[in-house]
Amino acid sequence: MIVQYDAKNLARLPVSKAETLLVFEGFLNKKAVRVIEKIPSSNGLFDRAAVDRLMLTVHWEMQRLAEEFYHGNRVLRILRATIDTLRATGFPAPIRIVDVGCGIGYTIRWLAAHTTLPKENVELTGVDLNAALVNEANRLARAESLPCSFFHGDAFSNNLAGQIYISTGVVHHFRGDDLTAFLRRHDTETTQAFIHYDFQPWTLAPFGSWFFHVIRMRTPLARHDGVLSAARAHTAQTLVSAARAGVSNLVIGIYGAKIWKTPAPRVFHALVGFRPNLVPRIKENLGGLLGELK
Amino acid sequence: MTLLALYLLATMDGAFCGFRTCMGRQPLIYKTRYYVKGVLRGILASQIASWLSLLALLAAMGLSSDRTLLRSDLEAAAARMLLVFLPYTALVVSNVMLRLVPSTDLRSATSVLFLGPLTFLRPFVMIAGVLFGIWSAQLRATVFLGLFVLVLMLSIEFALNLYNGEIQEKQIRLLV
Repeated sequence: MIVQYDAKNLARLPVSKAETLLVFEGFLNKKAVRVIEKIPSSNGLFDRAAVDRLMLTVHWEMQRLAEEFYHGNRVLRILRATIDTLRATGFPAPIRIVDVGCGIGYTIRWLAAHTTLPKENVELTGVDLNAALVNEANRLARAESLPCSFFHGDAFSNNLAGQIYISTGVVHHFRGDDLTAFLRRHDTETTQAFIHYDFQPWTLAPFGSWFFHVIRMRTPLARHDGVLSAARAHTAQTLVSAARAGVSNLVIGIYGAKIWKTPAPRVFHALVGFRPNLVPRIKENLGGLLGELK
Repeated sequence: MTLLALYLLATMDGAFCGFRTCMGRQPLIYKTRYYVKGVLRGILASQIASWLSLLALLAAMGLSSDRTLLRSDLEAAAARMLLVFLPYTALVVSNVMLRLVPSTDLRSATSVLFLGPLTFLRPFVMIAGVLFGIWSAQLRATVFLGLFVLVLMLSIEFALNLYNGEIQEKQIRLLV
């Protein structure tokens, strides 16, 4: 809400502080109003530099959660199975992994730092609509000489499209028809699989998220947004239904919903889609972590 | 011996504070050196607090009319404090050790179920430990010293947060 880009030409748009405040006042969201009131503005518009600094602070902080939850290892497990399956079923071409809404690119940079994927003809990329975050992701990758790259743009556009799409904490931003429309964009000839991680909703998730964010996060925006994200998370049923409505050429399911073989839910689950020919071997590789695929 | 145990616990607490206040402020992937520096900074802060405590203790000893009584009173208070601090420390250390097990779920669970809540409880445990220690103290000097040490220990994380926050802000200002 505080950063907006023109979806067609990617130009940054001015954002009115008063209008943003009105939106949250309409939701009776006092916490959000307090957060927004503190962001500097000039001539009624958010100060761009101040907003970018705030976004960087929040994303640096959010990376801490990914580190604590060993998110890189989690993504690697399913990606490794997917890539091995693709190669075993005779997919010889280079594979491009696209992290949709990559932010400062933690997952992709982690994969570049800790795996041999780039040497296996796998290109690691991230795409985001926020130019400041993309610049930061590229700066960080350069600082550690990591073989990955980040782009400001549309992840599904011809020049940025890939074979495997991943994301973390992105899908809950799409609601109703927008969710189906977002997933429909995977329905192309080139897409081989997608793995979209997001919060798993359950009774205690908003409380747990609130507690964890209070302890671990410092910026009010990160605290507020993190808790809201957990509360807005889609159920597995909503995700799977939307994906099946939008994507015709992939088999859809949920991955990693439960901890080991217990009924205890993981904080994150993943909406996954695979080409039908990959499914038998993927099931073999991932075993019980993979829910029913249809 | 009990005072030495408290000193070691304070040093360990400083190390954890140093680590914690660095987290979320450096977005690189490889940052062992960054965290080591953070831990050392925390240890240094706890040494400053310990030395100030020692100076206060020596001053109290110097002013005391009955040093033997003050010494035994301080040791008794410190021993009572350990009854609170040691189980807390054991919980923290055992959860940190659990993170050596190569299981992402187990490691994450230690964060969510234990290390996070234990971090939240830290100031309350400190207050409870010191109050329990000085509750039945015989001398005012013991009460004063206990409260002085409590204030010092509680301000370590606050000070480190301010310091690391300023460094982070400067870094971000250089970027945008």
